[in-house]
Amino acid sequence: MRLEKCWFCSSTVYPGHGIQFVRNDAKIFRFCRSKCHKNFKMKRNPRKVKWTKAYRRLHGKDMTQDSTFEFERKRNRPERYDRNLAENTLKAIKKIDKVRVERAASHHTQRMKGKRAKEHKEAAKELEQSIHMVKAPSSLQKEASLTLPKIKVKVSQQQSEENRMEE
Amino acid sequence: MVQYNFKKITVVPSRDDFIKITLSCTQRQTPTVVHKGWSISRIRQFYLRKVKYTQQNFHEKLSTIIEDFPRVDNIHPFYADLLRVLYNKDHYKLALGQINTARNIIGKIAKDCVKLVKYGVSLYQCKALKVAALGRMCTVIKRVGPSLAYLEQIRQHMARLPSIDPNTRTLLICGYPNVGKSSFVNKITRADVDVQPYAFTTKSLFVGHTDYRHLRYQVVDTPGILDRPFEDRNIIEMCSITALAHLRAAVLFFLDISSSCGYIRQICMKLVVEMKAEAMKTLVGLGEDPINDDGVLFTLSNLSEEGVMAVKNAACERLLNQRVELKLKSKKMNDCLNLFHVAMPIPRDQRQRPPCIPQAVLEAKAKKEVMTEKRKLKSDLENQNGGAGVYSASLTKHYILANDEWKEDIMPEILNGYNVCDFYTSDISQRLEEVEREGLVQEQDIGDDVDMEGHELTPEKQDDLISIRKMISSRIQQHRIKKSTAESRPTVPRKFDKDKKFTSGRMGRQLSALGLDPTMAINRACSRSRGRKRERSLVCGDSDGHDVMDLDVGQQPNKKLRARSISHSRSRSQPPSEVVVIPGDGFKDSAQKVKALKLARKSAKKRNKDARRGEADRVIPCLKPKHLFSGKRSIGKTSRR
Repeated sequence: MRLEKCWFCSSTVYPGHGIQFVRNDAKIFRFCRSKCHKNFKMKRNPRKVKWTKAYRRLHGKDMTQDSTFEFERKRNRPERYDRNLAENTLKAIKKIDKVRVERAASHHTQRMKGKRAKEHKEAAKELEQSIHMVKAPSSLQKEASLTLPKIKVKVSQQQSEENRMEE
Repeated sequence: MVQYNFKKITVVPSRDDFIKITLSCTQRQTPTVVHKGWSISRIRQFYLRKVKYTQQNFHEKLSTIIEDFPRVDNIHPFYADLLRVLYNKDHYKLALGQINTARNIIGKIAKDCVKLVKYGVSLYQCKALKVAALGRMCTVIKRVGPSLAYLEQIRQHMARLPSIDPNTRTLLICGYPNVGKSSFVNKITRADVDVQPYAFTTKSLFVGHTDYRHLRYQVVDTPGILDRPFEDRNIIEMCSITALAHLRAAVLFFLDISSSCGYIRQICMKLVVEMKAEAMKTLVGLGEDPINDDGVLFTLSNLSEEGVMAVKNAACERLLNQRVELKLKSKKMNDCLNLFHVAMPIPRDQRQRPPCIPQAVLEAKAKKEVMTEKRKLKSDLENQNGGAGVYSASLTKHYILANDEWKEDIMPEILNGYNVCDFYTSDISQRLEEVEREGLVQEQDIGDDVDMEGHELTPEKQDDLISIRKMISSRIQQHRIKKSTAESRPTVPRKFDKDKKFTSGRMGRQLSALGLDPTMAINRACSRSRGRKRERSLVCGDSDGHDVMDLDVGQQPNKKLRARSISHSRSRSQPPSEVVVIPGDGFKDSAQKVKALKLARKSAKKRNKDARRGEADRVIPCLKPKHLFSGKRSIGKTSRR
């Protein structure tokens, strides 16, 4: 029993799921669900379809080269069973997984690093350009503070004198 | 010409078939169309061709028959005699002779016809000649019909004759009827001769083959022979006698000692003597006259199979020796003998050199014999432990592992979405350590976000931004709604203003939100909607006698004037409060007028929806819209558009 990778989206295909297509030149295409299968039949290139792993790796959205990827390789030569080795392998798989997840997260944060600055810049620009939708230019000329019109509240003279005296 | 296989004789067709086949062949293979307008030479050629073709066909077919059937003179005397015995030789010869004559006659007919047609003058003449010729040929064949039938029968019978090669090594089995010759033959060969309790079960010769010392021997089984004068013998017996007489074979004469064949011993013995006179050489006979014959007596039993092999071997041996002797005596052998030479190594000394078998091999051989009895099979084990459905064999029993305790271990194939086998290497732990070391080093600081703190927008600016975005999105939405077709939105003209979007209060509010002072704009809007300035009007001169011009803007004492100055465009749709029927309108009463107005408005609504300017607007903007005049239907027909 083997977990395969979907040819289109690179997700794992569990047993009992998906479709396997064998072409006349004996190349096997495995698909995890009919969405991928139908996309394949439409001859779409997975490198151009945004939600696939192939696109994400190609466009640098996901981590491509890492030492954790080298652990997992299809080995054709069977190894003799060794209990200790099996135990170690099982433990190692979990650790490797954890390490990989961490590294992928760091990759993501690294990618998103300059986002806030960019957003602020864009916001400022938009504000400057589109302020006329919310405020008439003539009112802006009067008060160039880019804020809503102030509501003037009349304060009686006596009260203000009292305040001053208290201070 | 030696022919031992009569199966290759072509089928002799019956008389009717023969004629039919040939004539239809002629009809198909020669041209069929002829006109009387053609030149005479062409017509003659046409008919000539037909006649010649038919003659050729007949000739060919009859020739094959004649050639295929064996000439009695030309074949081995054994077969000649056999044919003579089975089929009447004279009759046979006659039949073949008749066929031959028929062939010649047909040839002659054709010649005659050809001669005549060459001088034929008209189409009809030629045609008649041809018809006559063909007719005569067919009659000839008809006369020969019985011979054809007879030959066909013979052919069928001959095809079933056993293919006995008269020249090779043969064992001939003969004797009284029902003694057990056929059973013997069944025993030593693969032949399957009928064995029945009655006499004369075997009615013709049967051939089987057996091997002795890597040589093939024919074994010929004969029907039983009775003790009778030669002339009285029937065909079946004659078969066996023929075989006896002509085949150079080892004759095995069978006697039934128990007389259960039904014939007494003495009578059988008499037969033997007679046979010896007939046969070419008798090897096995009775032991009563041992001096006279060089025969040997064997005892055998077919039931218990004792002595069967011994008899066969003895007979084969003797025959072989005799043949070899004969061959050696002939002159040809000397030449052959010179070609043979068996090389033997010259012994160097007198030492014995037996074949050398290593001791281990001998021991192993001995051991193997012992082993085969004692070995316990897996199926035995299975049966012990409850049988096929209950016991399941341990597949891992014979695994070669470093530690035998691991044989029953179950290792998972899949873990957390990974295939465990992909990770299973001997150096995985050290590689994992390396990776973990790397992991500690890769600590990055994401500290440059701190810089941006100063450039953030103030909360008021953020509110502004939000409202800007809201405004933009709402405008986009409205545009999309407007862009949609009339089916999905009500097509009420703007002036009726169902949503009350175009009120002055609203405008005021929007302008103040922008930061402008709305009062002037509202005033302007109101003054416009109030209508035009009041005009003088002579008709509505009042009874007061006041001059219109003297009145102020705000005061309107005259009721009529006030009525006139009501705005013509309404900011709100109002139901008709008082419908006054003016005489001359044509209405009975106000209720009718109300109804009429309602109907008018109703139709106006439809026209508005159809974007028609008025009742008279009959413009069809698009006479042939594409969707009505083209395309296939997914279901149904498009016979009408």
